[in-house]
Amino acid sequence: MINFIIKRLLLTIPTIFGVIFIVMLTIELVPGDPVELMLGEHATKEAVEDVRAALGLDKPLLTRYLMYLKNLTKGDMGRSIRENRLVSKEISDVWPATLKLTMAAMIIAILVGVTSGIFSAIKPNSYFDGTNRIISLFGLSMPVFWVGLVMIVVFAYWLRLLPIGGTGSFKHIVLPAVTLSLPSIAMISRMTRSSLLEVLKEDYVRTARAKGVSEKVVILKHALKNALIPIVTMSGLQLGQLMGGAILTETVFAWPGLGRLMVRAIFARDYILLQGTVLVFALAFVLINLIVDISYSFLDPRVSYK
Amino acid sequence: MKKTFLIFILILAMAVMVSSPVMAQKKGGTLTIGRPTDPVALDPALETTAPGAWVYFNILEPLLILDHNMNITSKLATSYKVLSPEKVRFKLRKNVKFHDGTPFNGEAVKFTFEKAYKSQPQARWASLAGPIDRVDVIDDYTVDVITKEPYGPILRSMAMCYTGILSPTAVKKMGPDFARSPVGTGPFKFKEWKTNDHITLVRNEDYWGKKALLDQVVFRVIPEEGARTIALKTGEVDFIIHVAPTEIANFEKDKNFVVHKATGLQVFHIGLNLSKPPLDDVRVRRALAHAVNIDYILKHIMEGSATKPLSYVSPGVFGFKDMNLDKLYPYDKGKALALLAEAGWKPGPDKILRKGEEKLTLTHIAARGRYMKDGEVTEAVQAMLKEIGVDVNLQFGEWGSVFTQIRSPKLDHHMFTLAWITTNADGDYSFYNLFHSKGIPPTSWNSYRYNNPKVDKLVEEARATLDPKKRAKLYGEAQDLLAKDVVMLPIYNSNMIYVSRNYVKGFKAHSVEYNLGFAETWLDK
Repeated sequence: MINFIIKRLLLTIPTIFGVIFIVMLTIELVPGDPVELMLGEHATKEAVEDVRAALGLDKPLLTRYLMYLKNLTKGDMGRSIRENRLVSKEISDVWPATLKLTMAAMIIAILVGVTSGIFSAIKPNSYFDGTNRIISLFGLSMPVFWVGLVMIVVFAYWLRLLPIGGTGSFKHIVLPAVTLSLPSIAMISRMTRSSLLEVLKEDYVRTARAKGVSEKVVILKHALKNALIPIVTMSGLQLGQLMGGAILTETVFAWPGLGRLMVRAIFARDYILLQGTVLVFALAFVLINLIVDISYSFLDPRVSYK
Repeated sequence: MKKTFLIFILILAMAVMVSSPVMAQKKGGTLTIGRPTDPVALDPALETTAPGAWVYFNILEPLLILDHNMNITSKLATSYKVLSPEKVRFKLRKNVKFHDGTPFNGEAVKFTFEKAYKSQPQARWASLAGPIDRVDVIDDYTVDVITKEPYGPILRSMAMCYTGILSPTAVKKMGPDFARSPVGTGPFKFKEWKTNDHITLVRNEDYWGKKALLDQVVFRVIPEEGARTIALKTGEVDFIIHVAPTEIANFEKDKNFVVHKATGLQVFHIGLNLSKPPLDDVRVRRALAHAVNIDYILKHIMEGSATKPLSYVSPGVFGFKDMNLDKLYPYDKGKALALLAEAGWKPGPDKILRKGEEKLTLTHIAARGRYMKDGEVTEAVQAMLKEIGVDVNLQFGEWGSVFTQIRSPKLDHHMFTLAWITTNADGDYSFYNLFHSKGIPPTSWNSYRYNNPKVDKLVEEARATLDPKKRAKLYGEAQDLLAKDVVMLPIYNSNMIYVSRNYVKGFKAHSVEYNLGFAETWLDK
């Protein structure tokens, strides 16, 4: 098990080197110059050259790539081009906010998604199941941006229950977390329903019922545990999605997270800052996948890593 | 006796009435502002855009300042004297202290300009403030600002928010961190900055002038326009920057809100590339000017959020002269077609103008979302030109790539959408940089590829003198020539628009977007 984890962690290194190279190449190929954009319409030619030289942007792509990797091995992510700030500092400023929002949305998604999925599976094609299906379809197909604005109008403007955005108290996280969780609730709910229905057809469920085990125990202990693997896989994928999808939610609700930092970096062609943020996202994805894989062996004793 | 008493009462009543507006000013409270983006930094060396200036304008003070009528007045300098075209002497204000207790003096001024011009790379505003060579300290409260060559706009450079004087001790002590916690002499002190969330300023109790009334100013980031508007309606914020044009009329009607306006310094225009035929023909350019219905755009697209442009620069800019565009190029499709016919363009079977086999097709590049309503306006112009038989091939791109093309040595398009702010409010900044033939890219900003030796001479002369009367006359002549030559199609002049709750008093919008001061603002609640 430990060997498996170490091997997986070591594999992330080439992944990350590749990710950085792709980011760098993309920024290089996209028209638009970071220094010209930074100094704006009003910069002179000399000023642009001056800054470009000071930032080392006049060097070829490969040199810059190797330089970046070299510094990275020393734990130095460089300084952002526009803000001239340590990238590690920029990220540590906003990372907790993203983590908080993603986790809150994930908890809501799992609680609501799994519960509604179970109820749908217990009585398939009932009124509840039908309603759940319609709500899920709605949650999946409505753009986050629009749902967010509707939430603001209803809960912040009409009802005056919650703030329109920003951070500070528990109240501030409610709207963004709920908005962000909607598509995931739908996915997890549908997955739980179908996976559980599948399991409920198994012989051992019939056996359990035949020997007189209560329905509650049958569902929660016998069936659900065996239905969990696809649900966990789906949740892991959703967690990654939530982090990426948070960009729009962060914008609508003025949530100071990593997504907005990344978008700013893209528009500024600030490849150093962008690499830093992509690096964090990539690492998070790798870690989530690893955790999901490890959890399989706990859920199903037949799965083992040697 | 009774009479005297009555007169006494009357005088007392009048005194109360006269003084009551002053008496009513209340001290205290927090003003919360909703704005679209966080600054890059709070040190002008790194940040020359509005989101930073909105904040540091209240913290840092330059030697001079432009008042609300765009006249130069004193700030940290009490007086100035032009000694020669390259040298201006400033007398500095005494008994002024930076927020960290460091005394303000000539050394601080010298330090600020040395930091900007001698650093590698230079401050990002250095090239905007002109060829400043050095600052000589004559005594503690006298400095000479010396330029490398005669530089007409120098006084307005010293009145730009970028040239705010920094505390030398704080810069040395903090290093790069200074950009996140600036120390100046202004009416407000920096307190905290939570990235992408809020920045808080507090009143400077030791301010040299009239102390601010507000305890605190909080600048919140609310990127989404609709959310920002709702935040003002619910009272979560007291004041918003960048209001949706469609909302302005509603706010003006509602007694709970006040709309603050000032004419801005930005001219939004369609730039013409004079190097690319058929736009090298002035008749074609004049025809385009006749074909664009500016009133329609202002009414239906801008919805009152902008005003009619009177020249290629805004009325607040030194050297501005009304170019009489309305009289020269009124909206008149007949005149446009006549001019085009004169240039050899006749309508073909599909109503598109032709010269022989060649169709009159112009290419146009623009970005969406860079300037207010840029996409909508550009599309409207395309439709208007289509009406006279000019086929416009419009390409929208992301701002970064559009901008690179506009400034590249060879511009492959006939037209581009751009808005230009005369940052230092001096005509030189626009007329010299945009229209001098020396400035054709890659050298500088003349993306119009305009080349008129007469204009070159006028703007050179105006740059080399510090006599305001002479300079104004020269810029006037340059504008007359530009009006004849038609280098751009000015569409709108920006307005600075802010909306606040009705209890926000004492705020006055300034033409310069960066000069967003809250020193006299107070809350009546």
